[in-house]
Amino acid sequence: MAEVQDAAARPRRYASPEDPGAGAVRLRPPANRVERRAIGWWALRAGVQVAVAAGLLGALYAFVEPARPWLGAPITAVLAAGAAYTAVTPWVRYSVHRWETTDEAVYSRTGWWVREWRAAPISRIQTVDTLRGPFAQMLGLATLVVTTASARGAVRIGGLDAAVAETEAKRLTRITQQTPGDQT
Amino acid sequence: MTSAALPADDTRDAGTGADGSAEQPWLRLDRRMIAVDLVQLVLAQIPTIVAVQVFDVPLTPGEIWPVAVIAVFGVVSTVNGIARWIKTRYRVTDEYVERRTGFLVRKYRRVRRDRIRSVDSQATLKLRIAGLRVVTFGAGQENTAREKALALNAVSRETAERLRRELIGDDSATAEGDEPDGDVLARVRYGWIVYNIFNVWAYVAAVSLLFSAYMFVTTFGIDPWELIDRVVDREAMGWPAFTLLVLAVTGAIGVAGLAVTFVTGFWDFTLSRVATDGGTALRTRQGLLRTREINRDDARLRGAQIREPLLWRWMGMAETSVLTTGLSIWSEAPVILPRGPVRVARPVVARVLGRTPSPLDTDLARHPGGALRRRLLWGTVFAAVVTGGVAWAGATTAEVGPDAWWITGAVVWPLGLLLAVAAYRSLGHALVDEYLVVRSGLVARATSALQRRAVSGVSVRQSILQRRLGLATVAVSTAAGEGGYEAPDMATPDALAFATASSPGLLTPFLVPTPAPSSPTTEPTPAAEAAPAVEPGPAADTSPATSPATPPAAGPTPPTAPDA
Repeated sequence: MAEVQDAAARPRRYASPEDPGAGAVRLRPPANRVERRAIGWWALRAGVQVAVAAGLLGALYAFVEPARPWLGAPITAVLAAGAAYTAVTPWVRYSVHRWETTDEAVYSRTGWWVREWRAAPISRIQTVDTLRGPFAQMLGLATLVVTTASARGAVRIGGLDAAVAETEAKRLTRITQQTPGDQT
Repeated sequence: MTSAALPADDTRDAGTGADGSAEQPWLRLDRRMIAVDLVQLVLAQIPTIVAVQVFDVPLTPGEIWPVAVIAVFGVVSTVNGIARWIKTRYRVTDEYVERRTGFLVRKYRRVRRDRIRSVDSQATLKLRIAGLRVVTFGAGQENTAREKALALNAVSRETAERLRRELIGDDSATAEGDEPDGDVLARVRYGWIVYNIFNVWAYVAAVSLLFSAYMFVTTFGIDPWELIDRVVDREAMGWPAFTLLVLAVTGAIGVAGLAVTFVTGFWDFTLSRVATDGGTALRTRQGLLRTREINRDDARLRGAQIREPLLWRWMGMAETSVLTTGLSIWSEAPVILPRGPVRVARPVVARVLGRTPSPLDTDLARHPGGALRRRLLWGTVFAAVVTGGVAWAGATTAEVGPDAWWITGAVVWPLGLLLAVAAYRSLGHALVDEYLVVRSGLVARATSALQRRAVSGVSVRQSILQRRLGLATVAVSTAAGEGGYEAPDMATPDALAFATASSPGLLTPFLVPTPAPSSPTTEPTPAAEAAPAVEPGPAADTSPATSPATPPAAGPTPPTAPDA
């Protein structure tokens, strides 16, 4: 690969927003971790996704005979990649996912392959919801969903303790109501 | 009728007192729409009658269905229209615009008057002949709650005018067509037709036109293939030549169709800034058969965007739209100019935003070489997948020759690399006073300028590959326009500075200074040692060109001054 640029303009390798290079400002991680139980939650969800994908291919294999010769490899690949995904990503997520709310903003860090640091000001919040899927209910977890007037601006914090999420939702709703502005 | 609507004004004026809204009478839609529906009902039956009476088409479902569909559609829409007239009541009170409607399911909707951001009126040909307009009240719900806007279908032209005056207080307008246009920013030039007729939609338009024509003539017992055979000798021409001919003819029909669409749709198109009692509004007015007028409150204006499609960049084609809160991006409302030359679009944007030079004309900072490398890599991966697929097909099937794979590779790889360079060259970002400007996009390069006060959330994203290349993507979310805008693949320190500055104060509590000496030792990835980097990780910190203090300061992006 040809190095077309002059050396001074070359960006530093491995620069994360939390470690962009000496002398620069950096983002700090949000203050709170999510619950440890969230590992189980992510694993269950990943497992279901993999099972659905493998199940569809398996059904094809069972019912469409001409497809059998070339379906074996994809099924094996899906199962292998799926097993790795289910085994590894929940732990990676647990080390990455963090959240924080202040009186001015909601701040989160999420993602396993693509990490995302996301902040939304309280003054722009339109709704604060908690969301509990079947697995989350089983584990006593909840997702806090904070939406702003933007179609793309929702901050979602999954894997919180249900009671914590509930308290946080109430607190944010209260602060939001005290903050004037039409949120756009 | 209009006379029915006028007392509403009087009653409201009389009862503007304490609870005037309670006494506000409910109004009906205009009576003339029944007449329009009945005429439409009659017209819809004509094809069937002609088919049966003149062409003796037998009354069997298999033969008659295309015209029968038209007839049934006519009946359904007439019944629907009359039911809507019977069941719809609306009123404008001091606080709300309210509408009750629905035959089986009763619906009640109201929109707060202070939330109404645009009042559009439009009319199809049949409504225009009857002097009717469809009035749509835009209140931003299309973007946030995914609801349809509140619409009155239809009221008289005078009522539409009065509603607009009442709700967004546009004094300059008295009646459509015969008033001063305010400050005219642009008018259509019909020469722009060349920018609007050559695109893929030509084929879509042609195919749908030809298909309906085919269905129609077969119903009347005419075989179109026979007609074609009379004109050209398919056998003598041979299939390749015939296919080319079909493509050319279809293309020509499509281009003609688009030309007609452009001329009738943008007939007398005028973009102007008009005074309203609360301030000003951007108004577009257009249309020959179906007229359309859109007023966009300037208080909701948050920026502008120019899109330049890759294939037409050589002729400088641009699509111009405004970023406002409360207009659905799926409608035509944000578009303020027909497709036309970019040299016309740029000054118009400057006048729309009231800033010269316009933020879209600023020189944008280029993104680092890593962004190019990332795109070249994706281009190569794409080429490899395609070539691999062809090679696999060549090995397993007889149709694909054994040489096909390297020919494919020789074509696709350079193309992929070329597109990667084009995508890289379209990247750019800048901060100009209250605007943040981002540019990206391969198929259509979009340059967007968004006011910082419109930003309602900031995110910094980084995949593992981006981290390896020292890149990060900044995305801001907003209630205006598409809901979010991105500056992909900036150098990480620049990304942080840009994110911080794009919403002043938001990220400040989450930023901390980096102690200068600690960063080399906190390199956590084991891949750093394993990867055969062009430039080894540790060496970067010792080489004189990239001494620890240099990289963040010497990036090629001076306009991103952090607020922190």
